Amino acid sequence: MLHQKKSTVKTACVEAFPLAIAIAAYGMSYGVLAMQVNFSLLTTVAMSVFVFSGSAQLVTVAMLAGGAGLTSVLLTVILLNLRNLLYGAALAEGIEPAKKWTRLLAFGVTDEPFVLASARFKKVGPDPTYFAVVAAIFYIAWIFASFFGALIGNQLDPQKWGLDLAFPVTFAALLVPGLKGKPVIGTALTAVILALCLEGFKPGNELTIILTGLLAPLVGLFIHRRTSHA
Amino acid sequence: MLNQWILIGTLAVATYLSRIVGIAFMAHRNMNPTLRLYFNYVPIAIITALLVKQVFIPTGGRLMLSSPVLISCFVAAISISLTKRFLPSVVLGVIIGLVCRHLIF
Repeated sequence: MLHQKKSTVKTACVEAFPLAIAIAAYGMSYGVLAMQVNFSLLTTVAMSVFVFSGSAQLVTVAMLAGGAGLTSVLLTVILLNLRNLLYGAALAEGIEPAKKWTRLLAFGVTDEPFVLASARFKKVGPDPTYFAVVAAIFYIAWIFASFFGALIGNQLDPQKWGLDLAFPVTFAALLVPGLKGKPVIGTALTAVILALCLEGFKPGNELTIILTGLLAPLVGLFIHRRTSHA
Repeated sequence: MLNQWILIGTLAVATYLSRIVGIAFMAHRNMNPTLRLYFNYVPIAIITALLVKQVFIPTGGRLMLSSPVLISCFVAAISISLTKRFLPSVVLGVIIGLVCRHLIF
């Protein structure tokens, strides 16, 4: 039993390590950007400790940089978090053996642990230990990276060092590998057109992200239906 | 500062709820496949919208294209497509964008 747990922990560490480096890069970007919108070192790290959501945190600082208000940020984050409902539903069976610890493990339901754990559960069945180790590695990487990003960001001129470029470049690098299949590409192209129209109508439009996030996926659904019925 | 703590608290609660609700209440229910597909496309749409907002910057009531940002995104996109490596692609994109900003634009 103990040997099996050790083996699970080792596997989790090996499989999580490359992603943890990517998450750290992403966390550094968040830390730098958070300092640019006047977060302190404490609040920058606190958001990583209590929220632990790369996309939500980066969206928050990006929206704040654009002058968005709390309501607008919250609505966008809720929309962005909708996928967690799916992740949770899909992972529930795999982490169920953890019983009372399930509520704690729920905190680790994000994109990367979902990808790793769903593959693991498919291979070996429910394995809450694996999920716990993977989520813990990403959590620690995320917090430390946010801290160091905030430290660096506070001392450097972001424009001079190109740190302001980290955010769009990070999202481009996250977006492009997922652009496979007509429905996804259709969603992305519609999002570009919609966002441009909304921004053209009112530059700095607070509703651009929310409306695009709500409407563009409908085009993806439409294309999916057409291609699957063809 | 108080606003930042309120924001952090609100986001923490909203994010945790989205995680626990999925596990606690949706695990044994059959979700409509259409809704499931819709949720799959939401992150793509939101990330794309964010990119557009970063590339086209409001300046003096008009939208201005930021060429260094656009080029850096293109470089990162091409790099990750070819190499499949996240970190080097981000670093390369930032470096090229920086070079463009200081030497060309």
